Amino acid sequence: MDITPRLDPEDPLADLPVLGRDPFEAQEEFDPFAILTATAGTLRVAASGRDAPSVEGLEPDPVVPLSLHRRRRPAPLLADLDPVPPRGIVERWLGADERQRLASLQHLVDSELPYDRMGLSPDVLRRTFPIFYALYRLYFRVRSQGHEHLPTRGPAIVAANHGGLLPFDGAMLILDVLLHSDPPRLLRSIVDRWAGELPWVNIFYARVGQVIGTRENFDDLLSDDQMVLVFPEGVAGIRKTIAQRNRLQTFHMGFVEEALRHQTPIVPAAVIGSDDQTPILYDLPNLARRLGLPALPITPTFPWFGPLGLLPYPVRYRLVYGEPLAFHERFAPKDADDPRLVRYLARQVRHRIQRLVDRETSR
Amino acid sequence: MSGDPERRRVLVSHADQPLGRRIVKRLFWDERVAQVLAIGDGPPPRSFDHFLAAPDRRLVYARVDLSRHRPVSNLFHSQVRAHRIDSVIHVPSHGPGESPNRPLVAGVATRTAEARLVLQQCLQDRGIHDLIVLGSAFVYRLTPGNANRMTEDSELNLDPDAAADLRSWVDCDMIFHGEVHNDALRVVLLRVPTVVCGGGAVFFHPSLSAVERNDWPARDLRPLGFDPLCALISDKDVALAARLALHSRHSGVYNVSGNETLPLSELSRWTGQRSLPVPGPLLRVASRVAGLAGGQWLRVSGDGPQMRYGFTLDTRRAAEQLGFRPGHRIGLARAGDGRVQIETPEI
Repeated sequence: MDITPRLDPEDPLADLPVLGRDPFEAQEEFDPFAILTATAGTLRVAASGRDAPSVEGLEPDPVVPLSLHRRRRPAPLLADLDPVPPRGIVERWLGADERQRLASLQHLVDSELPYDRMGLSPDVLRRTFPIFYALYRLYFRVRSQGHEHLPTRGPAIVAANHGGLLPFDGAMLILDVLLHSDPPRLLRSIVDRWAGELPWVNIFYARVGQVIGTRENFDDLLSDDQMVLVFPEGVAGIRKTIAQRNRLQTFHMGFVEEALRHQTPIVPAAVIGSDDQTPILYDLPNLARRLGLPALPITPTFPWFGPLGLLPYPVRYRLVYGEPLAFHERFAPKDADDPRLVRYLARQVRHRIQRLVDRETSR
Repeated sequence: MSGDPERRRVLVSHADQPLGRRIVKRLFWDERVAQVLAIGDGPPPRSFDHFLAAPDRRLVYARVDLSRHRPVSNLFHSQVRAHRIDSVIHVPSHGPGESPNRPLVAGVATRTAEARLVLQQCLQDRGIHDLIVLGSAFVYRLTPGNANRMTEDSELNLDPDAAADLRSWVDCDMIFHGEVHNDALRVVLLRVPTVVCGGGAVFFHPSLSAVERNDWPARDLRPLGFDPLCALISDKDVALAARLALHSRHSGVYNVSGNETLPLSELSRWTGQRSLPVPGPLLRVASRVAGLAGGQWLRVSGDGPQMRYGFTLDTRRAAEQLGFRPGHRIGLARAGDGRVQIETPEI
């Protein structure tokens, strides 16, 4: 499979010898830092026309602590938690471990009220968990690996490929991280702005910890030491046709800026199966735009079976977490203002995820 | 002068309304305040009796209609000078009797007319150096993708089709905002979100504060499928912020808010106010019907963005410059008679 990065021919950086005509060909195990170290200075020169500043010795810009969040209690380890009795018939189906993990999320709410400042409600999470847990175990039969790469504490960004019309890939990632981290961590997913317009959906998203994708919201989450899930492909990811399945689309770059600004690692994550849950034969982008929808697909079941045709097929999901990309160890927060560097780093994340996807699909 | 160590002599407007009352009481016990001139539309509140009877007459109450030029001019040329008032805390009208459909004064909303006159008199009176104003945080422009946290620099809602009540808040905000860099008069504009009092009264919220409690069968309607997050602040913290602003040297716009947030549906339940979610298209029809009924048995909070999209406030500027930290929690507690109601105990 061709995974050569497609560089813009107009891009003045395209002539640079180092930037991936195909970095994977040259190295068995692609290490973006090997290239980054060599090219960071060159990139800056090309971008600004000035001498490259030294990366060494740069003092990171202080991130203003967010006083609007009172400091939450630290997340408890599973071993420190008391057994949690089941609440209702449905929770009896859950194991003791799952109940403990759910109960541990209570620490996310720091005030006397049952909601955090973004609208998250641990109680709603606990009520809806069994439904998604059933999907995770029985419907999508999720298999996952690489959990050791997920940071146990501190802020982090998980960047994954996006697929399927309905965001079950996000739900499965959130559940997988919750079920395989200790202390249990809740991924706070960044969702598209139009989700805020959808009746009921906007309420559900807010209560289970999803956040509208604005820079301020991103800042708040990272300042609050949360782990943030982003799908840098955005809407382009969910309207991929069947011919483009498992091929990553162009990335938005805001998450790289935030990672640099907050000195946060990026964990690449590959989701295999989401592109097959609703195979799109054809998309009608112009009609979708007129109707105010992100996509208007033709699938084997939609629109023939009405809204039911959008329900996902019971495909097996495979989730793989890659090694964290610690760009913040090489670059200072002020480098987030360098658009070419940010674009370059976003491409590196994309290549890393694409490589994870390719490795898994070739098995 | 601002920041002067000498004791302040303060005028508080709308002191007969809940927040004005709270601020007056707070200032009365402030050792750095020598005199409080409380202004209200109606007779002095019963709770002022104790303070008005104090032998040193630190609190004086006067009835003045702030929306009319002549009474306001008389006030500033007589009582303000007689009591050597040097600071004004303007609390826009917000009481439970406030109706969004109050008659206009000279073509503008009553609240706007009051703001203009108070500012005009403060600018003309050379003895007044500080003007502290309470404003609403619902002036921010809310969209489906708005950030959860609004800063003081966030965009304001300048939509000409916005509800009249909301427009009057925006007008007031802009009137005072235009003077924050005035060298002769220090202007501090405090933007507060939904104000909650012990017992369950709510102010400044475009929906809940407009509904009288227990006035069955009045119903408040709101859009179905939306449950915006409401930032809350207790009335005691509003008074605290006003007092801090009074003694500060800084001028400008400040967001002040408490630590708590609640969805609108939950807040309605906590405050015992009935609101009925209705589909958007029906809401527009209901709005017309409510207009014909004169709001007697049906009130419609409107289909405005503040009924759909929530927000919280970035209070860092107030914390850094005014030293404001919320000092009260907002929660449910059981009252002596067994009723469960909102209380605002100290943190």
